[in-house]
Amino acid sequence: MSGEMVDVVRLSGELEIARKGEIRDALAAASTGTAVLLDLGEVTYADSIALTELLRFCAEATRNDRPVALVIRTPQFARLVQYAGLAGAFKIFSDAAEAMEYLRERAGGS
Amino acid sequence: MDGILDTEARARNVRRHAPLALTLAFIVLVVALLVAAGFYVRDIVRASFRDAEDIRVARTHVADMLNAQLNEETGMRGYVSAREPILLAPYYVGRRSFPVAAQRVGSDLRRLKVNEALPPLRDAMATNLRWLHEVAVPLILTHGPAPRLELRGKKLVDRIRADGVAIDVDLASRGALVDAGAQRAVFSIGALALASILAVVLAALIFTVQQYRLGERLERERTQSEAERRHSAEARAAYAAEKRIADTLQQAFSERVFPNLPAMSLSATYLPATEESKVGGDWYDALELPAERVLLVIGDVTGHGIDAVIGMNRARQLIIGSALIDADPAALLARANLELVRVKSPLITAACAVVDTRTFAISYAVAGHPPPILLEPGRHAALLEFGALPLGVSAKTTYVTRTTATVPGAMIVLYTDGVIEYARDLEGGEAALMEAIESAADVPRGQAAKAIRDRIFSNSRIADDIAILTARLWEAPATSASPRRIA
Repeated sequence: MSGEMVDVVRLSGELEIARKGEIRDALAAASTGTAVLLDLGEVTYADSIALTELLRFCAEATRNDRPVALVIRTPQFARLVQYAGLAGAFKIFSDAAEAMEYLRERAGGS
Repeated sequence: MDGILDTEARARNVRRHAPLALTLAFIVLVVALLVAAGFYVRDIVRASFRDAEDIRVARTHVADMLNAQLNEETGMRGYVSAREPILLAPYYVGRRSFPVAAQRVGSDLRRLKVNEALPPLRDAMATNLRWLHEVAVPLILTHGPAPRLELRGKKLVDRIRADGVAIDVDLASRGALVDAGAQRAVFSIGALALASILAVVLAALIFTVQQYRLGERLERERTQSEAERRHSAEARAAYAAEKRIADTLQQAFSERVFPNLPAMSLSATYLPATEESKVGGDWYDALELPAERVLLVIGDVTGHGIDAVIGMNRARQLIIGSALIDADPAALLARANLELVRVKSPLITAACAVVDTRTFAISYAVAGHPPPILLEPGRHAALLEFGALPLGVSAKTTYVTRTTATVPGAMIVLYTDGVIEYARDLEGGEAALMEAIESAADVPRGQAAKAIRDRIFSNSRIADDIAILTARLWEAPATSASPRRIA
């Protein structure tokens, strides 16, 4: 197992219902790797529709034994993710390299 | 709008009439060409006939000329054989008429432009003169036989006749040319007429095909716009129906009777999203439990419209229903979650709190929902952290009940995300909400929720659904006797 098998999804800006298709497509593309790095470092807001997409994706990946790591940096979005309960359910990092390191360790350990 | 429609109709009319105008213009052009060609051909034919007549006349003039020469010769032969002056009469007639006839032939040839016949004519005239001077006059003056002169005269006369024949042949061949030209003209007018008929038929055919296609297109456009109208009418009707049902359900729960406990005052407010947005799935409940406890629930179904309302009702039934068995907030959420995951419900965020009016303890659990806020007398408002994932995401999600001890006068506020997310600035929204809650500490009973809402949205547009539910605990037993309606 190596880092090449980690799917990386990078989204940025305000995630809202108008971008639902884009978000879905981005997430759907991340279906081959053994782990998923969801880089939301540049995301400043997500409405409930977008959050639903992210949540369902993370839950599905976890169910399929694909470790998920989220990168979240902006305080507004961090707050949203906090009360949406993501922090308890998924690994969250503020740095993409740390997240990748975590996923590699997970992959190597499994 | 009418103006646009008028313009479109005009444009359509122009498009509809364009093929007709084009075809008509084409037919007019063809007819004009035909008429012009007819005149042209008529002139050609007329000229041919005139030329043919002129050629006929010219040929008689040639014959006249040769006749005159014959007369001259005949008179001369008679005179030479008998030496009788009377026998010279034809000679004199011929001698007078030859130049006249030759002149006429000359003008005929020039008019008809049969220039190739002019040299033979000139030769004939010159030879005639030579014959007169070198043969006729000497023969008249000579007495007795003059065989050498006669032989010379015969040669000259033969030459004149040959010239005459040459002129006649030229005229005849010109006549043949003129005839052929006339024939060609007649033939070409026939061909032109045929071509014109074909052109007109073709134009009519093209016009018909265009009309047919236009008709088809107009029919298609009509059908299409009708379908669009029908479709938009259906969409409007569906939206109206959805909105009506949603509104009815929302109204039904927002006009309910709240528990009325002496040591607690409840207030709530609900505002649907602004008109252009759709109705969402925000809800709240307050249910009296045994032992003077009250269960508070607030939730928000992801999405809008009838699906959201259905999801909302399902979640409410699940939570309220299971509260009759075991009112532990985390257990309520966990049971609802299992069922919502099973039915693949839209995601639902919710917060549950059980408020004990005897002990002033508040137990709560949160599923992906903005945290409840607690305001205690003399203190700043505080967020009651934290929750787990929303309902309907994963059956494995674990919800936890936390309990906090409060004091008389404490107020717990539950709300939906529309209250803090209106500006897409969660931290700013939370700060504004806390400030609004603190400022609502002293409002009359039952007014807190509305006061909070008014304070936050005095300057901000309400984009999403918003719901606020407050519960305040009191030390002294309240005296009101009957249930109150909460608006």
